[in-house]
Amino acid sequence: MIATLLTRVRYGAVIAIGVVVAVLPLLTGDRYLIGKVLVFVALNLIIVSGLALVFGFAGQISLGHAAFCGLGAYTTGFLVTTLDWPPLLGVVAAVLISGLGGLALALPSLRLKGHYLAMATLGFNEIMSVLFVEMDAVTGGNNGLSGIPYFSVAGARFDTPALNYWLVWGVAAVVLALAYNIVRGRPGRAMRALHGSEIGALASGVDTTRLKVQVFGLSAAFAGLAGALYAHSVGFVSPTTFSLETSVILVAMVVIGGSGSLAGPVMAAVVLTLVPYADALVPGLSADTVALMQDWEADVYGILMIGVIILAPGGLGRLLVSRRDRRVAEAGEAA
Amino acid sequence: MSSDALLLVSGLHVGYGHVPVVRGVSLEVGTGEMVTLIGANGAGKSTLLKALAGLVRPSAGSVTLDGEDVTGAPPERLVRKGLALVPEGRMLFGPMTVAENLAVGAHTRRPRDPGVAEDRDRVCELFPVLAERADQSAATLSGGEQQMLAIGRALMSRPRILLLDEPSLGLAPRVIGAIFSALDRLRADGLGILLVEQDAKLALKHSDRGHVLRAGRIALGGSAEELIANDDVRLIYLGAWHGTE
Repeated sequence: MIATLLTRVRYGAVIAIGVVVAVLPLLTGDRYLIGKVLVFVALNLIIVSGLALVFGFAGQISLGHAAFCGLGAYTTGFLVTTLDWPPLLGVVAAVLISGLGGLALALPSLRLKGHYLAMATLGFNEIMSVLFVEMDAVTGGNNGLSGIPYFSVAGARFDTPALNYWLVWGVAAVVLALAYNIVRGRPGRAMRALHGSEIGALASGVDTTRLKVQVFGLSAAFAGLAGALYAHSVGFVSPTTFSLETSVILVAMVVIGGSGSLAGPVMAAVVLTLVPYADALVPGLSADTVALMQDWEADVYGILMIGVIILAPGGLGRLLVSRRDRRVAEAGEAA
Repeated sequence: MSSDALLLVSGLHVGYGHVPVVRGVSLEVGTGEMVTLIGANGAGKSTLLKALAGLVRPSAGSVTLDGEDVTGAPPERLVRKGLALVPEGRMLFGPMTVAENLAVGAHTRRPRDPGVAEDRDRVCELFPVLAERADQSAATLSGGEQQMLAIGRALMSRPRILLLDEPSLGLAPRVIGAIFSALDRLRADGLGILLVEQDAKLALKHSDRGHVLRAGRIALGGSAEELIANDDVRLIYLGAWHGTE
């Protein structure tokens, strides 16, 4: 009874948030908020929903997802501006190339565990950062690529901030639904089984290595998709955007959001993306305050991460779980 | 003993690093046959089962399943081929529900396979308590119920060979009885069973044949009756000093 009520409340909340997000551009014409800040929130949601699968469900860590994001952004940027491809093909190519890149990195790296996997993905991010700068002919070097048009497909042009906002949020909603289905469905169940008992999962015929590689590849494709949409939203791609620091911030969102949860990282992504753009949400915030918050951005993330690890090791997602579920889960850990 | 046995193990060696644990074991299990492995702690019984289930790679020898060489095959391939392991300590997915544990057992099968629902019904008929507790988390079950769930999960892949590692460990005699009568029924339906069991007397009473494993080698083998009647076996493994039953 209470469980069904809770489910209904949750569905209601999701629908209400969806409606608010959808009508927002009709209520405000703020180009900064609609054209930039909230688009970044949606893009981070796309990346984080993939990263939450990698971290919280497959139990892997990646410090290289900003590089996949960059791979997607540069792929569509190059194809659309230099080779005059239509944006749809550019975005599709971006998703494929970053997804394949993810598989290529996962196959050798997932033999590694813990710190070593973190190091391998970190190294990948650094290599890609160098390539983004050095492959001048394709990436435009330090100047980056500019003049990337808004997304368009078959005559439908998403060439105003509001239209672009709806496009990106629409894609984010689809990606979230996909990630939710994976978590709730067979692969998610197999991954939770893997966390419950690796031997039990293996004995049940769960191919754990394959599952980890697939999840990693999918999350890289999500990151590439977000990168490609970023390129079309902002119109400009530069190498510093996809640095290791961005990767660390993305992982921070997932850690603060919590392992084994999708809702937790999603909420953490929203909140943490908004921190440096507080001026877009709170009217009348002085420029000094905003500058201060932006300067301290990394410190805020760091303090939040330490706080979560000490005070709520399960992350924000764990705090959302109803008390009954938590009791059951704790009984499981004790057994 | 025939060469067309369902599971045929020949000269199997298994070790961890340079430490040999199983040293040249040969045995076979046929359709509808229950074979027991007895032996002291550290004799290599569990390691042998793990190797047969693909969790540890054998270093030499061969394993043939239904006429096909599956030596060193990964566990998911063995599960697909019809071999399932009920691991030592049950290894259930504690926070997940009973129904979900069973569903993971059918992971290698197509989700829409109507046989999966049939097998779930069969498992629940074999162990009715699992149907009652379907929505409870596995961690909240009693030891006996957990063992039933572990067996049920293994059956969800519709195996032809079932490997069981210490199913009676830590359970009350009445529950052990229920589990062994379930195994009897499964065997009567044609399932081949390879059993590792501390309670040798109980296991041999339900088995067709048995092997005594000592320091990684098969020291003795024969029909269950022969082993029960063997003086060494009685003294060392059957606790003959308690009587001669």
